[in-house]
Amino acid sequence: MQRLSSALFLLGLGLLIAAIFRGMEFGTVAPIVGQAINSAAAEQVGAANFVTAVVLGYRGFDTLLELTILFTAATAGGMVLGKRSPTAKRDPDAGFILQAGADLLFPLLVIVGLYIILHGHLTPGGGFQGGVILASAFFVPILARPGTRMSHTAVSTIEGLAGASFIFIGLLAMFGGEAFLTPLMGQGELGALLSAGSLPVLYLAVGLKVGSELAGLLAQLSESEAVD
Amino acid sequence: MPDTGLLLYGGAFGLILIGIAGIVLSAHLVRIIFAVALLEAGANLLLLLATWHQGAAAPIIVAGRVPDLMADPVPQALVLTAIVIGVGILALALSLALRVQRAYGTLDMHEVRRHMEQDIADEAGIDMPSSSHAPAAVQTARQESGA
Amino acid sequence: MNQLALLVALPLITAFLLPVVNRVSTLAARWLGPLVLLVTSAIGISLWSQLGDSAVAVELGGFRPPLGITLYADRLALLFALATSIGTLLLWPSRGEEWLRQSTLALILAASGSGLALSGDLFNIYVFYELVAVVSYGLIAARSSAGSFAATVRYLIVSSFGAALALTGIALVYQATGTLNLAQLSQLAPTHLNNLQGLAAFVLMLIGFGVKAELFPVNTWVPEVYATAPTRVSGLLAGVVSKLALLIIVRLLVLVFNQPEALTVMLVLGMLGVVTGELAAWRARDFNRMIAYSSIGQLGIMFIAFSIPGQAGVFAGLAVALHHLVVKPAMFLLAGRWQGSLDRLAGAARTSPLGAVLFILLALSLIGVPPLPGFWAKLLVMVNLMAQENTLYSVGAWVIMGGAALEANYLFRVASSFYHRSEQQTPPVAHRTRDLATASLLGAGLVAGAVLIMPLADEIEGVASQAANRDQYVQTVNPEALP
Repeated sequence: MQRLSSALFLLGLGLLIAAIFRGMEFGTVAPIVGQAINSAAAEQVGAANFVTAVVLGYRGFDTLLELTILFTAATAGGMVLGKRSPTAKRDPDAGFILQAGADLLFPLLVIVGLYIILHGHLTPGGGFQGGVILASAFFVPILARPGTRMSHTAVSTIEGLAGASFIFIGLLAMFGGEAFLTPLMGQGELGALLSAGSLPVLYLAVGLKVGSELAGLLAQLSESEAVD
Repeated sequence: MPDTGLLLYGGAFGLILIGIAGIVLSAHLVRIIFAVALLEAGANLLLLLATWHQGAAAPIIVAGRVPDLMADPVPQALVLTAIVIGVGILALALSLALRVQRAYGTLDMHEVRRHMEQDIADEAGIDMPSSSHAPAAVQTARQESGA
Repeated sequence: MNQLALLVALPLITAFLLPVVNRVSTLAARWLGPLVLLVTSAIGISLWSQLGDSAVAVELGGFRPPLGITLYADRLALLFALATSIGTLLLWPSRGEEWLRQSTLALILAASGSGLALSGDLFNIYVFYELVAVVSYGLIAARSSAGSFAATVRYLIVSSFGAALALTGIALVYQATGTLNLAQLSQLAPTHLNNLQGLAAFVLMLIGFGVKAELFPVNTWVPEVYATAPTRVSGLLAGVVSKLALLIIVRLLVLVFNQPEALTVMLVLGMLGVVTGELAAWRARDFNRMIAYSSIGQLGIMFIAFSIPGQAGVFAGLAVALHHLVVKPAMFLLAGRWQGSLDRLAGAARTSPLGAVLFILLALSLIGVPPLPGFWAKLLVMVNLMAQENTLYSVGAWVIMGGAALEANYLFRVASSFYHRSEQQTPPVAHRTRDLATASLLGAGLVAGAVLIMPLADEIEGVASQAANRDQYVQTVNPEALP
């Protein structure tokens, strides 16, 4: 009975969506904000990658909140999963090939992650994408040797300081009399590594924060898994 | 109106519908969580398509060359934000699912709900109203163990 | 006026640094959170005194709207930002094992709640809304009982479902207009959103943001969460967070979606909320779920009130919302020691006489007995509902009357049991001093509101008329006209 009413509800919803779909006129409205940003971003922000200009410049506030959501999810996740009991059984270490592979991958992943973070204002990529790679760099060795523990103190210190420095850079602009999160240090030469003012610094903070947050979350989940 | 656009829009609405169907119809917690992720993916795709234009170049200036027609960078930034939010919530949801499984030994949402109602009723010190979802065998077993 | 961003930035930076500070000094970490909230409250009050009848817009990042994100503060937004800071301060989590994580989450709640009230950008509102959601999951699960985990995960699913629907609605709006700035949307809405797509976008966002505002079909989480969460957290969610979600819906209605159909949808859902909430509260047999269901009913009244077109609706709805903002957290504070079966409350007045008196005061105001503020708020709603020509609004008025009758029945049933002596049963233990002191403070506020009702009503009417003023919003933000 419940199934039937759910199916009917879905049918109605599908018809409703179909009706909206038919009435929509695709692609008729010009993206006014997007076009304005495309023509102004090179001059106003100085990042060759306009998506980065939006992520850290025009909508930097969203990005700050997004970092906060990750931080909150990690904090709440830590509270939910609780502390690991010291007597719990651990998974055995992986074989030699996986361990050696993990050791080999670690420096490569760190370098690639940092490269992607630091070139976020020039090429596709940036703090989020690079941060995920950094997180995997620290998580792959844990998969190879489940016995090793990630230092939660280090992780929480990095995530705290990286997040605080993002806000601090925003507050610096305020003390200079401008609005919160205004990009600092000029625009530089479009396309150069050292350009777009404070954006690369912000992306580095984002990358470190995302990396430490995700690595911490994954480590918590994997440690908790072993309790059963 | 090019056909690619129709296909993409159809895909976005399809994902949204599949996601909602999964949330409403499935009873397994992990499946419901993945259905939520599908629904979010559909919403993200729709957002990305809002100002989509066939053949627009990525909004990046490489070696000083400015493409004639650049894609709208705003939805791309928005979707990046929405995806990261989704990942955070997904991780939290899975941690909660892990604890629920450990506490109740099941991930079936009807069962989980019954256990939870029982917990709330026990803590409050009231009888649990008989639930239409609970199989009779489980209820008698509970009464016996309670007696 | 630039300090507006500090209301969000200060609690956030503190939350990030709290674990680091704790490693240096536990004492500093304990007091830092409340201290920062005191500072943000002071900033909020000083901004309020400067504001008057004007409104301000802050262009974050220094980019002119609609390119960048704008914060907009009129007195309504500032009032709710302030209510979030002060509310979090009053309901600061009690010391327990997880106090550090809970304080961090409470600080983020204060930041995100203020931001939600101040934001002037549709997608930014979505991000703030999700942040509030994630913080509340953490705070609800803080009791670490199996029931609270199950309730949290069920809440998480409903809430994520709603958020995804809201995001779909935002995508439809962006598809139709190409902008996310509320002021610019307000300019474009009559030509671009006055159609089926606009209505669909509104309904999607109403359901999405309605999850936190306990709107009728998406409020299944309310009784479970309020029964399993720490009572202070329930007080915050029911008192403050639900009003923030409502505030967004009201902003959207005033600025963007002023089709009559949108108001009708909200009116009908509000009526269903009152009926189902009050009936369920009447049937409930434990204290927490009784006040949880009654809060669904109260929020239904707010939805009905806000669906009255024009400034009258905003005024009436705001009056009910502010009244509920004071009463509900106090009720939940009393639930701290009285949770559980209603039968156990027999003779509670002997162990906690002040608590019993407070409960009766709050109950009288909730039902709407003169001269308490709840009476004036409900009167305002009723008068305005009766003044509408559409018969659906008079049905709404009757629904509210019926709800009040039910409320009177179940609240008095509880209140009379306080003074009922039962020999077999020991009455519940007395309240914690801190809970009782906070609840008394809120009760005193209620009495002060009853005494000063005329100046208070004038003030609220001023706030409402400013909030209903679409032109002021557009002129203050002043988005650049783009080709």
